[in-house]
Amino acid sequence: MTLAAIQAAFQAGILNGERAVLDLLRDSQKTDRATLFAVYADGYRARLAEYICNDFPVLREHLGEDAFGCLVEEYVVATQSHHPNARWYGRRLPDFMSESAAWRENREAIDLARFERALSDAFDAPDAAVASISSLQAIPQEAWPRLTFDLHPSVSVLDLAEGTLRLYEALSNDDEPLAPSQGQETVVIWRKDNEIFFRSCLEDERLALFEIRERTEFGDICSLLEFREKRADLTGQLAEYVSQWFTDGLLARVSIGGATSRPPTCRS
Amino acid sequence: MDKPQPLGFGLGLRPVYYHDILSTKPPVDWFEVISENFMVPGGRPLAMLEKIRSTYPIVMHGVSLSIASTAPLNYDYLKSLKALATRFEPRWVSDHLCWTGVHGLNLHDLLPIPFTSEALRLVVERVARVQDFLGRRLVLENVSSYVTFAESEMDEWTFVGEVAERADCWLLLDINNVFVSSFNHGFDEFTYLNSIPANRVVQFHLAGHSEAGTHKIDTHDEPICEDVWSLYTRACLKFGNISTMIERDDKFPPFADLLAELERARITAKVALRQTDGAAA
Repeated sequence: MTLAAIQAAFQAGILNGERAVLDLLRDSQKTDRATLFAVYADGYRARLAEYICNDFPVLREHLGEDAFGCLVEEYVVATQSHHPNARWYGRRLPDFMSESAAWRENREAIDLARFERALSDAFDAPDAAVASISSLQAIPQEAWPRLTFDLHPSVSVLDLAEGTLRLYEALSNDDEPLAPSQGQETVVIWRKDNEIFFRSCLEDERLALFEIRERTEFGDICSLLEFREKRADLTGQLAEYVSQWFTDGLLARVSIGGATSRPPTCRS
Repeated sequence: MDKPQPLGFGLGLRPVYYHDILSTKPPVDWFEVISENFMVPGGRPLAMLEKIRSTYPIVMHGVSLSIASTAPLNYDYLKSLKALATRFEPRWVSDHLCWTGVHGLNLHDLLPIPFTSEALRLVVERVARVQDFLGRRLVLENVSSYVTFAESEMDEWTFVGEVAERADCWLLLDINNVFVSSFNHGFDEFTYLNSIPANRVVQFHLAGHSEAGTHKIDTHDEPICEDVWSLYTRACLKFGNISTMIERDDKFPPFADLLAELERARITAKVALRQTDGAAA
């Protein structure tokens, strides 16, 4: 029998419980081959489950051991690892929940999973220097309408069920959790000095952050917000956001005219 | 063929001990890092490794090379591995003499090989390609195993020694794995040690394991047992001054306990080396 055939049978035995592999093995002096092969088959499931437990501790707390155990079991059966680094094995858990008949209605659990995944992603996102406000002060004020900003690679902006953040914090602190409501909240997550931070943000800031990511110029973002709010002169409001982004460490670079200028668009 | 200089006595670098290491600068000669844990875009893991590397020598120890797999070599993985090695300049790069999956999958386990001439040819050829790609000699570790294959044509120690000689690579001899496999398969652990070519061994691993009655499992979650300490003494007598490190991957004890175990390794090796020096004089 070829090595390729042996390895295929061994892997099928672990993944699907196929027993053909047992014909390729010997009993030991102390026990039978099925018992020994189970070290690999059981170990495989236990290891993948452990990766999920490590990545989603608050979701586990939220669902309880039984429900979380069922979720992990379903995920492990449905999801094989293609990556050399186990770090990425659990990344699809929120998508898996959204696609699963058993979980797709549980928005609070799905959003908690999305939030925890975003925390993991921020943890080891690419490094970049954080821009300081002095880089903005070095640019003449008349050029500010043409400013563009690069967000730090760790920044993510998530739309979640309203109250997800409160639920996460309550579960993390062993407080009494309140269920999320039907509305929506936006959460910004980022890393600064190798620590992970997050906070909620309002609709105007959310929109501005999405436009920043598109490299829309500062002046165009002002016009966009003014159009949307049907108010004039929101430049001051936007300047406050920019100031806060510098303080938080959300920005990696400030430049002038980094993107093709385009007319403001309206988002519903 | 010049072996790398022995590094002394090291520990596995695990996040749970970052604070102890950075705040106390413990008397550890070097650290072994799991390569894949640092094959990430950025953030705290790499920042911690930068800090620790500025004080200590490191070696890189991988778990996903899958050198004995019949699946094609993963060159994306090798590129990341090489980039990490270029950045952190480890004294050497090691992985396991095993496979981790076929058909594009990774089972995240160190799976056993049938010891056949076909497997030997495959491993030797792949080691040569990996060494060419990395531009350095690879260090390969014997794994613990729980099953044996009817197809095997030779002993594990013969297979391991032949891989090292034919592929011209180094060996990382895991003393605990020799002990665990000898119990599981009923072979003599001293025969194993005595059959490994001494000029190929550059590193020892020591670790604990768990008991399952009819077999032992390589879990790295217990202190090193007395049988493994005895085997380590024998290994020091045979192989001489070899870089030694302790692996601990679960049920993490206080860092001081690991330092105490490492001190025992240091003393054990010293006594054994004195004995061999005395015999040679």
